[in-house]
Amino acid sequence: MTTPTTPANGIDPRSPRFGAAITTVLLAATIILTLVPATWAAGIVLLAVIVVFFAIGGIAGIRRHPYGALFRRFVRPRLAPPTELEASEPPTFAQQVGLVITAFALVLALVGVPYAAPVGAAIALVAAFLNAVFDVCIGCLLYVWLVRAGVFRQRTTT
Amino acid sequence: MTVIAAVAVLVGVLALATVLGVVLRARTGRARATNAPTGRAGGQPPQHTDDLAPADAFGSAATLVQFSTPTCARCPATRRQLDAVADRTPGVTRIEIDLAERPELARRFDVMQTPTVLLLDGDRAVRTRFGGPPRPAELSAALDTVLTPGTEESR
Repeated sequence: MTTPTTPANGIDPRSPRFGAAITTVLLAATIILTLVPATWAAGIVLLAVIVVFFAIGGIAGIRRHPYGALFRRFVRPRLAPPTELEASEPPTFAQQVGLVITAFALVLALVGVPYAAPVGAAIALVAAFLNAVFDVCIGCLLYVWLVRAGVFRQRTTT
Repeated sequence: MTVIAAVAVLVGVLALATVLGVVLRARTGRARATNAPTGRAGGQPPQHTDDLAPADAFGSAATLVQFSTPTCARCPATRRQLDAVADRTPGVTRIEIDLAERPELARRFDVMQTPTVLLLDGDRAVRTRFGGPPRPAELSAALDTVLTPGTEESR
């Protein structure tokens, strides 16, 4: 049986990791800024920017993410061609997870919950860091946990 | 909070993430023997596997069952890896199950990540499981154990 090595909507698997590295740095800055009272407002603005980026990746799809454009323009020309392409659903799901966590933290911070912004940023940072540095696939872990928690309704197939 | 304290918090978070990453990387894809082969006391009760697929989908000697999800970046590569093993080993087949379609199986087989691969023997008993893409050497060793009659799992 021959399986195609390149999905039709495939992306370079290094692109999401590159994006996760940028996200890691931005979230690290968010943690510091929102923990220091004098720079809290700047940190909240940065967190809002991160939420917008996650929203683009999670709603429009990873292929429309600005970091992906950066990767194609500046990084990919310096690398060897990818050995294989990857489906776009897994990194898009990871963006949706990031969107939920950071948007939730942003809303809580804006209604005055103390430390909501740095705690939310720290949770998202761990995920982005594991993705960027250790190539951990968020969609391989969290999706199953959501399935087990009964978040997805059982489809009646077959 | 001072800047120094904030940086210390950040370093702590990064250290925690690094430990988590090292642990995940060390554990992924390792062979784990499950319940004892028939007749040995103290094993877990055998999980029934007959409803995973139609009877003719199971291999006469062994079956590789792969649990996947639509959001799993590693699953296509694992599918090709297992297909190659099944193709070159007589009596071995591969079954792939999408947990989004059969979520109840995630609980029954205690799946915490995808791909998770179960190695079933000719009697459809679960002998070995792999969380994450199976390490090729450990998969071959586990398969040899199942395919060679009379050998006991040494692990």
